[in-house]
Amino acid sequence: MTRRPVFRDGVLRDNPVAVMLVGLCPAAAVTSRVIDAAWMSVGLFFVLLLTRLCQAILHALRAPDLSEPPAPGAPPQTSVFPLRPRWLGSLLLSSCFTAAFELILLAFAPSESASLGIYVPLLAVNCLVLERFQRSGPEDEPESPVRVIARSLREAAGLGAGFAICLVAISLVRELLGSGTITLFAAGSFGGTIEVGGLSSVPVRALTYGGGGLLCLGYLAGFARLLGRRKRRSGATEAGRS
Amino acid sequence: MSLLGIILTFTLVDNIVLSRLLGICPCVSAPSDMRGTAAAAAATSLLMSLSALAGWALQTFLLEPLGLGFLRTPVFVLCVACIAGFLDLLARRAAPRLLRAARVPLAGVVFNCAALGVVLIAARGGFSALESLAVGFAAGAGFFVVLSLLTAIRERLDVESVPEWLQGLPLHLISAGLLAFAFLAFDRAFLSRLLRGW
Repeated sequence: MTRRPVFRDGVLRDNPVAVMLVGLCPAAAVTSRVIDAAWMSVGLFFVLLLTRLCQAILHALRAPDLSEPPAPGAPPQTSVFPLRPRWLGSLLLSSCFTAAFELILLAFAPSESASLGIYVPLLAVNCLVLERFQRSGPEDEPESPVRVIARSLREAAGLGAGFAICLVAISLVRELLGSGTITLFAAGSFGGTIEVGGLSSVPVRALTYGGGGLLCLGYLAGFARLLGRRKRRSGATEAGRS
Repeated sequence: MSLLGIILTFTLVDNIVLSRLLGICPCVSAPSDMRGTAAAAAATSLLMSLSALAGWALQTFLLEPLGLGFLRTPVFVLCVACIAGFLDLLARRAAPRLLRAARVPLAGVVFNCAALGVVLIAARGGFSALESLAVGFAAGAGFFVVLSLLTAIRERLDVESVPEWLQGLPLHLISAGLLAFAFLAFDRAFLSRLLRGW
């Protein structure tokens, strides 16, 4: 059995923002300052990792899952309520971890909590958390519980890292060109803001608006596609030569 | 703020998609025909209106009196999920054509963060029951306007020559960004001038 590099896939091949294009709302909304993007990435990492951990533990314990198809020969189950138990379970888990992160953020960084506003609670319904939650585990070949948990954690860490890299990259471009500054964590005598001479005198203000976020996101997705195609083409050429 | 002011603000000035940047995914990947778009937007608007009202009720009668403000997110998420589920159930029985045209199960709309976003905005804004309903309705109307505009733009882009690496979602995102700049024209000064005549 070949082990897929799930962490690397999450960062590169299946990058959530640039390639899979999921979780776009925070990627466009909170990337006007680098520090906001960093906190949002920490939040998503926290929620994603813990949600996947719980899902993997439940899967390893073989908790009954009503959303799985019935066994052959068994009478078909007809669900009256359209939302499946797994969906509701994943929603409940992710929303509880999101509420926990909200409280942590409020305690340790109240100004950032106010700056991020409603986008922190919205992590609970982030497509990335819920989408991968549904896909993981059951359809794969049988694995030991420890391996299932380890694989889920590696995958969540990869996706979280990929999300964070894209968010910070977009926010760097937007803040640097839009305001001519880079806002980081304040520490000691360092106020947290680096002003870049030259760029701060002639800022492209449009990039700090929501529309600027969407433009950056669109071009990032386009460049990611271009790079992916070039890589596939060069791989095919090398395979042809060999 | 009057009800008309709330409706105009949340439809044009503070648009849920272009100003708050919520619900981008369904907007850039919605069905490409106008009928499907209208069905999807109508379903989402109904969900937003009912969710905003339910969110106000939960906030006023459950979370605030019992001091359970820290449970706001899980309670609102489950509330929106249940309303989406029951609307899906009703639509299957009463209007199956609408559901088929939308091409998206209504229960799946809960994963669109715009619905939860509207509930959170209404709850944090301290609106009354009627105002919360107006916020939900106006946000839904704004969603409908943007979805219709983006669908019309997509229909035109389908027949234009576009670089291969920008085709599809990247170009849809760029179009949405340009539309967001266009919507900046609807600012609060414009709104106050508009309402002065009423």
